[in-house]
Amino acid sequence: MNDKAIVCACEDVTKRELEGAIAHGHADVESMKRYTGLGTGPCQGKSCLAAAMRLCADRAGLPPAAQVPFRARPPLSPTSLAAFAGLPDEVVRRRESPLQPPKGSMAAHPLQPREPLPPHARVVIVGGGIMGLALAWNLAGGGETDVLVLERGYLCEGASGRNGGGVRAQWTTASHIELAKESIDFMARFAQELGINVWLRRGGYLFLAGDEHTLRLLENGARLHRAHGLATRIIGAGEASELVPELDTGKFVGGSWNPDDGVVFPWPFLWGYADGARKRGARVETFTRVTGLTVEAGAVRAVRTDRGTVRADRVVIASGAWSPSVAAMAGVALPNVPYRHEIVSSEPLKPFLGPLVTMMGTGLYFSQSMRGEIVGGMGDPAEPPGLNQTSSLRFLARYARALTDLVPRLGQVKLLRQWAGCYDVTPDHSPILGETPGVRGLLQMSGFVGHGFMMAPAVARRMAGWMGGARDELFERFNVSRFAEGRFEKETLIIG
Amino acid sequence: MLGFSLDGDRLEGREGDTVASALLRAGVTTFTRSIKFHRPRGPFCLSGSCGQCLMRVDGVPSLPACRVRLREGMRCARQNAPLGAEADLLRAADFLFPEGLDHHHLLVGSRLLGRVALEVARRLAGLGQLPDEAQPPLAGTLRKEQIVVVGGGPAGISAALAAARRGARVLLLERDTRLGGAALLGIDADAPGAEWVDEHSHALASADVEVVLDAEAIGLYPNDAAAAPGKPALLAFRRPAAVVAVVADAVVVATGGVSQPLPFPGVDRPGVYAARGLLALALHRGVRAGERLCVVGEGSELIGCARALRRAGYDLARVVDASGAWPLPSGSAVPESAPDLAILRARELRARGNPVKELRAGDEAIACDAVAVALPPAPLHELASEAGAQARFSEELGGFPVGTDASGRTSVPWLFAAGRAAGAGGARAADSGTRAGVGAADAVGARRP
Repeated sequence: MNDKAIVCACEDVTKRELEGAIAHGHADVESMKRYTGLGTGPCQGKSCLAAAMRLCADRAGLPPAAQVPFRARPPLSPTSLAAFAGLPDEVVRRRESPLQPPKGSMAAHPLQPREPLPPHARVVIVGGGIMGLALAWNLAGGGETDVLVLERGYLCEGASGRNGGGVRAQWTTASHIELAKESIDFMARFAQELGINVWLRRGGYLFLAGDEHTLRLLENGARLHRAHGLATRIIGAGEASELVPELDTGKFVGGSWNPDDGVVFPWPFLWGYADGARKRGARVETFTRVTGLTVEAGAVRAVRTDRGTVRADRVVIASGAWSPSVAAMAGVALPNVPYRHEIVSSEPLKPFLGPLVTMMGTGLYFSQSMRGEIVGGMGDPAEPPGLNQTSSLRFLARYARALTDLVPRLGQVKLLRQWAGCYDVTPDHSPILGETPGVRGLLQMSGFVGHGFMMAPAVARRMAGWMGGARDELFERFNVSRFAEGRFEKETLIIG
Repeated sequence: MLGFSLDGDRLEGREGDTVASALLRAGVTTFTRSIKFHRPRGPFCLSGSCGQCLMRVDGVPSLPACRVRLREGMRCARQNAPLGAEADLLRAADFLFPEGLDHHHLLVGSRLLGRVALEVARRLAGLGQLPDEAQPPLAGTLRKEQIVVVGGGPAGISAALAAARRGARVLLLERDTRLGGAALLGIDADAPGAEWVDEHSHALASADVEVVLDAEAIGLYPNDAAAAPGKPALLAFRRPAAVVAVVADAVVVATGGVSQPLPFPGVDRPGVYAARGLLALALHRGVRAGERLCVVGEGSELIGCARALRRAGYDLARVVDASGAWPLPSGSAVPESAPDLAILRARELRARGNPVKELRAGDEAIACDAVAVALPPAPLHELASEAGAQARFSEELGGFPVGTDASGRTSVPWLFAAGRAAGAGGARAADSGTRAGVGAADAVGARRP
């Protein structure tokens, strides 16, 4: 046996790997967890987090206020889907007045860098998620290197770090299909372009229909997909159960199947784009909160932050579900509404599940990650709007009921870790891109309704080109003015 | 005697055994192969907190062998070793990646090689196979309570008593099958011991505290359910397998601490255990996992555990003060004079053999057949943290105690913490529990003086 010093025995993470993470700048335990896998196994960090913090505090000199554990995620010990599925209805029914999510602290983040921000940048991007970082990389690649990305937390703290990693080209509008196709092609060569693996596994997407009417809707979609060169086809319950033998075939009549869709490992996308953008000369600043936008004479002039003010020629709002609150700082009302979506990861199992499976009508979806976990979620029609990233027991109960109903053999599989992120929902489920009427230089890049992650490579490439002067109909089609003009771009194939 | 099987071989255990205690008594030390490097692994914490002893039991993957009670005819199987746990050929991964595995930058240069890596990694990933059988929902229940105390050690017992004596209705949950927690291990002469637990268990009965044993808390949330919206807390616990949801006016978290490994090379080898786990194994199951023991650790925990292990019948090969082997040693400094233990100081440690046969500590090679790691248990802050309570690292405690005010109240108004979870372990646990119990009773408006 090799003499390595294992710190996290669940995931076989070594001391050297932790030191490597610190050297790569992942010196806080949230980032270290994501970079190394530390604390993501069956014990969820109960046996390794203290040792990791001792190392971080010593080597990286973390200030005491930053010496906090990574976010504790229920359950406290692995617990079976069957146990959550059996929770009584009173727990599953939501109380009438929704709980208010806790308010975040307005104090400067203890890990905020000490160096001042530059006094001026030609482009400031508000939000260091996949959209903002991919845009920065593309802009810098096109010669616009005076770009500053501002992220209020660590990279991956927002929805880009909280999604299930599903990527698909099966959509109901031509624009979405083309954006997704190009993006997935890019993901397949991401490692060569940006030097980090995102582990795109093309296990396909299987949309299941519970009844004939839903199946006919899927058929319409499949025809559109084929017109765009996708391999989507409608399959019967028999063929679906050949793809996933564990499904209870009594629960659906057929489905839409595209073998080229897949799942990725989301976090390296952000690190890859951030490192790539920095190498090209852009700046990415984490733990920096935007507190205001200065608008004068109908144009955006500066971005105010808790590290000082940066004058800017153009400001891009790429803040996901927080975009309406950022736009409001410039007096702009966006129609986006944030909604919490909860998600959960199981114990790691040997590979058995090829596709991402989703059940139309219930919002249930699940796939098996490269690490073997069943990662899934389920939309909740009773979810009130709001920026809420807390977890709930009722979600575990609803998800466990729906999943074990469709796949009874998962009953004894244990859940390890639940979390939540926010969808950024627009009235027509299509994004908001381009100029802001009335505020010159303020650009929108939001409203992706939970699927921005899978379209970012293409959206960012085209946005960078358009910002550089190229004509592109995308930025007129999806301009925020369409809502006032009653011109909707309705996308209907939303999961969750 | 109870007959059971391991990978098809017949073994025997005793009434009252867990799968882990039966296997250790039978001399089995390799329980599984590790997830990435296929290193042989045995149990470490022996208290259901780490992830080192997960086995397939009766067709269910990844169950903690140290928590599963042995039954006649049980079928146990080691995981992640398609070719057999003793001679797993995939252990080559351990040698191919001697410093660890940088999966982010593996084969990024070539799209073709990247695809090969993906296919190989996909096939090697995961730990357990799918369960053999379907499992229908396990019907849970809902309870409505005034105060729930989580943890039946001295802090939890004291909190429950204090709250009940003020007239509050109290439910006390303990994950083990007996009350007492760390007090039963006899590590700290100044702290409550088994007699204290006995006495106070009787007091719980006369104070009308409802005690539920074998109840493992798994989640604590603000109550967003339709059930009793006036009660702010929603706690979930498992007993035995189904989930019981409890809505409550106040919760006291007295969950104690979790044994920590000291990350020296070889600490994950079979035969290296948490000192407290070995003590519990000896006291509650009557099993010793070896005869000649090296005890290695930091702070007063090292001395307390070494003496307790000797009382439990272990022959101490060496006691090693390893302060400095890992940054920021925890616990109070080990006193120079513990002549009964002849403590060796060493910063360079290395465990050898499978199961471990030798501990190298500095220049000394110490022959042994087990190693006990004795670090101060890290406060189990997670349950309180989930609900939003703040916890911050303490070098002295080697972990993240939940912050409280003098009445034990955390940053969440309905949530109190006591004992080691709140940084008040050992001799301070009972007092901190009493204060939290009084605080919780005040918070729910219990009045009896």
